[in-house]
Amino acid sequence: MSLNTVMNSSTATPRPLSVLICALGGEGGGVLSDWLMEIARKAGYAAQATSIPGVAQRTGATTYFFELYPVPVAQLAGRKPVFSLNPIPGSLDVVIASELLEAARCASNGLPSSDRTVFITSTSRTFTTAERTAMGDGRLDSAALLALVQAVSRVHHALDMQRVATDNSTAVSAVMLGALAASGVLPLDRSICEEVIREGGRGAQASLQGFAAAWQMITQTKLQAEQAQLLVNLIDDSEKKLPELAGFPIQINDMLRLGWLRVTEYQDRAYGKLYLSRVRSLLDAEHRADADALHGMQLTREVSRWLALWMSFDDIVRVADLKSRAARTERVRREVKIKSGDVLAVYEHFKPGVPEIAGLLPKPIADRLLAWDQQRIAEGREPWAMPIKLASHTVVGTLLLRLLATFKYIRPFSSRYAEEQALIEEWLKAVTAGLAEDWQLGYELALCGRLMKGYGETNHRGRDNLLHVIRHVANDEHTTATARAAAIRRAREAALTDEAGSQLDRVLKELGAPPRPIKAQPIRWMPRIRNS
Amino acid sequence: MEISFAKQIQQLKLGEGDVFHGEGILAITKALLQSGVSYIGGYQGAPVSHLLDVMVQARELVGELGVQVEACSNEASAAAMLGASIHYPVRGAVTWKSIVGTNVAADALANLSSPGVTGGVLMVIGEDYGEGASVVQERTHAYAMKSCMLLLDPRPELSVMVDMVEHAFAMSEASNMPAMMELRIRACHVRGSFVCKDNRTAKVSTKSLMAEPAAFDYSRLAHPPVTFAHEKRKLEHRIPAARQYILEHQLNEIFSGQHDSVGIIVQGGLSNALLRSLQQFGLADAFGETQVPLLVLNVTYPLVPDQIADFVHNKKAVLVLEEGAPEYIEQEIATLLNRRDLPTRLHGKDMLPAAGELTPEIMMGGLQQFFARHLPNIDGVGVKLVLDATVTRRNSMASSLDQTLPARPPGFCIGCPERPVFSALKLAQKEVGEVHIAADIGCHSFATFEPFSMGHSILGYGMSLASRAGVSPMMQRRVLSIMGDGGFWHNGLLTGVQSALFNGDDAVLLIFKNGYTSATGTQDIISTPTSASKTQAHDKLASLTANNRTIEDTLKGIGVQWMRTVHSYRVATMRDVLKEALTTDFNGLKVIIAEGECQLERQRRIRPWLADLLTRGQRVMRVKYGVDEDVCNGDHACIRLSACPTLTLKDNPDPLKVDPVATVLDGCVGCGLCGENAHAATLCPSFYRAEIIQNGHWHEKLLASLRRLMLRWVQPA
Repeated sequence: MSLNTVMNSSTATPRPLSVLICALGGEGGGVLSDWLMEIARKAGYAAQATSIPGVAQRTGATTYFFELYPVPVAQLAGRKPVFSLNPIPGSLDVVIASELLEAARCASNGLPSSDRTVFITSTSRTFTTAERTAMGDGRLDSAALLALVQAVSRVHHALDMQRVATDNSTAVSAVMLGALAASGVLPLDRSICEEVIREGGRGAQASLQGFAAAWQMITQTKLQAEQAQLLVNLIDDSEKKLPELAGFPIQINDMLRLGWLRVTEYQDRAYGKLYLSRVRSLLDAEHRADADALHGMQLTREVSRWLALWMSFDDIVRVADLKSRAARTERVRREVKIKSGDVLAVYEHFKPGVPEIAGLLPKPIADRLLAWDQQRIAEGREPWAMPIKLASHTVVGTLLLRLLATFKYIRPFSSRYAEEQALIEEWLKAVTAGLAEDWQLGYELALCGRLMKGYGETNHRGRDNLLHVIRHVANDEHTTATARAAAIRRAREAALTDEAGSQLDRVLKELGAPPRPIKAQPIRWMPRIRNS
Repeated sequence: MEISFAKQIQQLKLGEGDVFHGEGILAITKALLQSGVSYIGGYQGAPVSHLLDVMVQARELVGELGVQVEACSNEASAAAMLGASIHYPVRGAVTWKSIVGTNVAADALANLSSPGVTGGVLMVIGEDYGEGASVVQERTHAYAMKSCMLLLDPRPELSVMVDMVEHAFAMSEASNMPAMMELRIRACHVRGSFVCKDNRTAKVSTKSLMAEPAAFDYSRLAHPPVTFAHEKRKLEHRIPAARQYILEHQLNEIFSGQHDSVGIIVQGGLSNALLRSLQQFGLADAFGETQVPLLVLNVTYPLVPDQIADFVHNKKAVLVLEEGAPEYIEQEIATLLNRRDLPTRLHGKDMLPAAGELTPEIMMGGLQQFFARHLPNIDGVGVKLVLDATVTRRNSMASSLDQTLPARPPGFCIGCPERPVFSALKLAQKEVGEVHIAADIGCHSFATFEPFSMGHSILGYGMSLASRAGVSPMMQRRVLSIMGDGGFWHNGLLTGVQSALFNGDDAVLLIFKNGYTSATGTQDIISTPTSASKTQAHDKLASLTANNRTIEDTLKGIGVQWMRTVHSYRVATMRDVLKEALTTDFNGLKVIIAEGECQLERQRRIRPWLADLLTRGQRVMRVKYGVDEDVCNGDHACIRLSACPTLTLKDNPDPLKVDPVATVLDGCVGCGLCGENAHAATLCPSFYRAEIIQNGHWHEKLLASLRRLMLRWVQPA
């Protein structure tokens, strides 16, 4: 690179080039710093590196800072450049980040700038705890993070460093070095980089491959657009038609098709027809409420999604079915990266309790069983449950699962089935009633279908929240339909934020809605016997 | 510990004229050997851990030089070790993390400083201040002032740091004051080079022993009445001697510059940032050639009044760049100017923030104000534009996001044995109600972060049990104290266990017995599994902590009557034992030992072994957990109960569903927590455990093929 580009106008001597490396603990940022120091030394440049390493533990954010003086030591007449231990605002020549959120975090601290910084970022995400623990989708929008980075970049390169590392069976540090060297900002000769990696010994070959792959990706700038495109999720847009779906508007066709397939596969065609008739009645209601289709059948579309998922409610029969399919066996083999000649054993973790088993039985028997369990709990004992580690790779294990899967034929006679159908009807009635008042009110109620999911406690929590919203927030006669629609949205979003429901309770209180009923729970008194 | 420092140890052996390339803290270690130390001790902690880690492993080198290396049980014990230099002409060095370590060592330091030292004494202090710090933000400087110790804050340039180590010993001997050298995080981790000297063998060492003890000398005791004389000596003899040494050897550096109506006084450790900041004003070049006079304080205590008076002579104004609060240096200079009636205007914290690190950005802001006031000819507009643009960028970034970016604090490692215990505690609290949790220092303090958010107080290393003494008698429910084995040995046994037993307290203590002081870098402690037990272990995959029962034996010996040891991955059992401890009729101290080897160390131990087995074609079983994407309900209760880094999210492959599903990444070490949680918490049945056998026996392979064949008949597509 030309020296002119790094001239500092005021002092007429070149200034050091600054590189900030953002990584996660355990990703080999230290190795990368060592490489950079060694490469600079071999190439005859003065350089310095330092770091704020996380503690020994993984996953914390760490930064490394590297400076190199772009005039060979031989030409400095014994003078030593002074390097900084911290980045200077607006003076970063390169930022390289192995993870997109860390790149955005660096962008948001204001240090990189669009008139100077070459920003190389990975598009891969390592989700933070806060994102992972949300009860719905707590993930940040990658496109927004990428936009932050672009706003402070003179030149911007994006590539999926994790994938490049995985594809080449190497650590992300080698990929970062390849990308950094290829960016051309530092006078790093490729052959010296490779020589230094090679001297690393063990794993050098894989590192060299990762280095080369990243080098190639950066030098082909088309990748940026390609990678950004990859962040956009694609949804199945198959056009195939099913005769049963004739007569439904085209706008909801894709969702309806998925719903129909799900429900019929879950139970049978008759159940599928019940699904379609339910959607049909909602469609008619939406036609009445929105004759000009101003909302483009959005409500029916959402109902057909959530209804299909609710009608195919999760139970042990369904789980047994899903876990004993050939496609599933193949998926597991893929996921655990089985190689030919390896032997695989797979164990399923089940813990069916009384409610799960009672759900499969007719109501009178189920009630007695549940009462027995309640009695146990009231006595301060654990609810009955049977932890099972089922060996599904064995013939007997799979046969057991298949046997359980055949219980789907008795499902329509079970107490859970009856209960779910009644609740579904209650929800649909509430949506229809809301729709008659105001489209938005109906729509918000339709979206509440999202609260229903899962098994056991998750399922009960969602159901209770949904019913509370339907029975109390939607029926508040003192407010307008618009106000109630807004209230339902707030309550729904709050219900998805925390398990204990404290956000929902807060919102309910603010809305003036009745609080959720307190659940009976045995209380354990701990009398303190004090030594006097 | 399982990490090898063989490469670093080679660097320590370099001789005269060789060039050392490496990290700052290692350069300091080399400088100790070049200074002829007789003993080295300390307690590990970021950012100075490597000093001791490397020395502990450098047995051969240490043996050659006759250096005694002691991994002390805490900083007080390390500081007490320095007592050797009171009577004897031996040089000694210790290291620890400050401010916490200095606090623990304070008593011994006071009693060391009072009689003073004969042999040079150096404490290498990791000044864990500012970005990346893990301790409270306080200055070590206060200790130097109150106990009358030398404080060095060298320019972060390896050759300067190394020189300063050698000077520190000599100055300590010249003044009888113990010396401290504070090194900031970035200075400890700075990678650079310097030209070495030969290592020196001390006159008195483990190879060349003293024949007789020193003669009895009451004045060497920190015991009244001689302590009154010590105080006088400190002020009348020692500090002047130190000042003379500083002047004679020019430890503080003076750089002249053409703008001599002003000057800047800066702590050595900050001088690089200052030079780079001046560069932004066009007032320095890339080689540190400055146009503004500088006084670089490589020794920040004591200051040399004459030197400062000379520096400010004929100057309109000086700026003091001093990190942290209170601004001791600035205050002392203010007193000096006042006493000597010097007209120079003093600036410092009036132009710089009182708290926090002095990064170049902050410094540039202060310099800009200083120059605007006292060097109006300097064009600070460019710098102001840069700073304003930075703030603008920061604000516009913040406003373009509709939420703040989530933090990424460090967390439990993949497969950490402590995570399951907090899962169990979460479950236990669901049944017995929330309890007050006295937390402690260590990896387990990561439980204060999401998703556990547990811990009401952290009072210090090993202090959890003691910190509950005033809480538990006032609380209807029992209080839980959590402690690591590191904290237990550091002082928890005495301050906590002994006190609770003596007072007959109703207390619950949970000890994490993972075998190492893991948070500080997995150093060995007295309850670490022995190397013999590691090599002899029949099943190397199993946790080896059970082989060392020092903690249990100690607790039994001291009189603990209620003690349960639970394997930490047994979530349901742990939950039940926690419930029992919190509700039992037994009113004394209840101790639960959660046993499970530090996963970092376990992986370092077993990986090479497994790799070796594989290359030799022997049978190896690998375990990985997985989630069935079509069974997962997208509620993420499993993550809220564990937060393992490999248990994360992916897009829901089901186009009907919107919430992402849980997934297990390849890094999974198969610790078993997912399965344990699925059972203990009755989570959804989406978890599977896969056991992959490489190089299996022929009959295993045959059975597997037969099974696969038969499953094709049974399984639908």
